[in-house]
Amino acid sequence: MFSSIASLQPRQLAAQVLNFALVLSTAFMLWKGLSVFTNSSSPIVVVLSGSMEPAFERGDLLFLWNRGMDTQVGEIVVYNVRGKDIPIVHRVVRRFGGGSAPLQLLTKGDNNAADDTELYARGQDYLERSKDVVGSVVGYVPFVGYVTILLSEYPWLKTAMLGFMALTVVLQRE
Amino acid sequence: MHSSLVRIQNVFGYFTSVAFAVAAAVAVSVLLSSQTPSASLELKNVQVVKGRPHYYSTKREEYAHVKFDLDAGMRLAFPQPPPSKLTHPDLTSLFNWNTKQIFMYITASYPSTSPSIPPSEAVIWDAIIPSDHAPFHPNTYIHPTSKTPPKSKSKSKSKGKPYPEGASAGIVKLSNQKPKYQITDVSGKIAERENATLSLHWNVQPWVGALVWTNTKSYGRWSGLKGGADKFDFPSLKGSETIKKEDLKTETGAEKNRGSPA
Repeated sequence: MFSSIASLQPRQLAAQVLNFALVLSTAFMLWKGLSVFTNSSSPIVVVLSGSMEPAFERGDLLFLWNRGMDTQVGEIVVYNVRGKDIPIVHRVVRRFGGGSAPLQLLTKGDNNAADDTELYARGQDYLERSKDVVGSVVGYVPFVGYVTILLSEYPWLKTAMLGFMALTVVLQRE
Repeated sequence: MHSSLVRIQNVFGYFTSVAFAVAAAVAVSVLLSSQTPSASLELKNVQVVKGRPHYYSTKREEYAHVKFDLDAGMRLAFPQPPPSKLTHPDLTSLFNWNTKQIFMYITASYPSTSPSIPPSEAVIWDAIIPSDHAPFHPNTYIHPTSKTPPKSKSKSKSKGKPYPEGASAGIVKLSNQKPKYQITDVSGKIAERENATLSLHWNVQPWVGALVWTNTKSYGRWSGLKGGADKFDFPSLKGSETIKKEDLKTETGAEKNRGSPA
C-alpha cells in the first residue's frame, strides 16, 4: 500500500493534497455563504428532540431564515438558551414588543404540555428576538439529518467512518 | 471500472439524485394545488381574573410573589379567554398531497399601550390535525363528538378522529370551546384592554419542502382565508366570588410531554 504512495511524484502528491483542500474549502465557503445569505449563524439544523412531534421528528433537517425580524406567533424558531449551546426548536406562542421596543417571544414545543419558561435562563421570562433566536424555520427535509445524531451519540461511528474512508482512498490507488 | 464497490457507489449516487429530484418536484408542485379556506370565529365569553402562572416551580413561585409585591401592589391578571370560538372552519382544501399535518391555532391580539409598538399576540388554543395518510401519533387533536365520552380510558384512545363524524380532515365544529391557555400581558395587566382581535391561523407542515402559514391575500390558486376573525374588548377584573371554578378550567391538549418540557 504505502509503496504506491511513495512512488507518486511530488507534483502529483501536491495536486492530490490541493484537490482535497479545495473540496474542503468549497464546502466551508458554501456553508458560510449560506450563513451570510440567511443571516443565521447556523442556517441548517438537525432536530435533536421529540418536543415538536409529530411535525418534526428526531433527525429531520431544518432550513432557517433569520432576516424576518418581526417574528409572528405560530412561527417555529430555533434559539439558544442563554449560557448554553444547545439549540432548541419550538413554536412561538406569545409575542410582546416590536417596533421601538425589543421583540419578546415565548415559545412552546408542540409535544410539550408546558411552555418554555422553565427552559429559559434564570430570571429570563421571554426570548429576545434579536439576541437569542438563531433563525426561523422556513423549510424542512425529513430524516436525512439522522446521520449526525448517530455520529454524536455513538462516537465510535465517527472513527469507524473516517477509517473506512481513509481505507477506500488508499485502496483505490491500486 | 466494474467492481462491486464502483457499482454500489453508482447505484447509491443515482438513488440520491433521483430522491432529491422527486423531493424538489413534490415541494414545488404544492403551488399548483388550489386552496379555498374559510372559517367563522365568534367570541362567546371572556373573563379576566387574578391568578398566578401555574407552571412556576416552588422556587420561582417565591420569586414571582416578591416581584409583584414590590411593584406597588400590581398583581397578575389573567383573562379567561373566550371559551367560545370556532364554528365551522373549512380547511379541507389545505390538505394536498404534500400535507403531513396542519397546526391550527387561535390567537388573541390586542394593541399595546404605546403607539410605536405593534400589537401583542398570544395563542389561546391550538390543535394538530394530521393528514389521513400520516402515521398515527398520540399528539394529535381529537375532535369532541356529540356523544358523551366513554368511561374507560382504552376506548377513548382508539376512537377519536381529528374531525367530526362524517367529515374529513380540516373541518372543525366547536361551540363554547374552552381555551387551552390562559393568557396575560407582559406587564401583568390585561383587563379593560380594547380593540382586541380573535383570529384563526394555521401552519401547514409538508412532507418535504417549505412550511406555509395563514394567507389572507390570494396568490394564484391559493385563495386567502375568508372570515376567521372577531373583535372584542377585554372586560374589567372580576372578583373571585363571582367566578365559578368550573368556568376557569382550560382544555387539556394531547401533548405527550407533561411536567418538565423536553
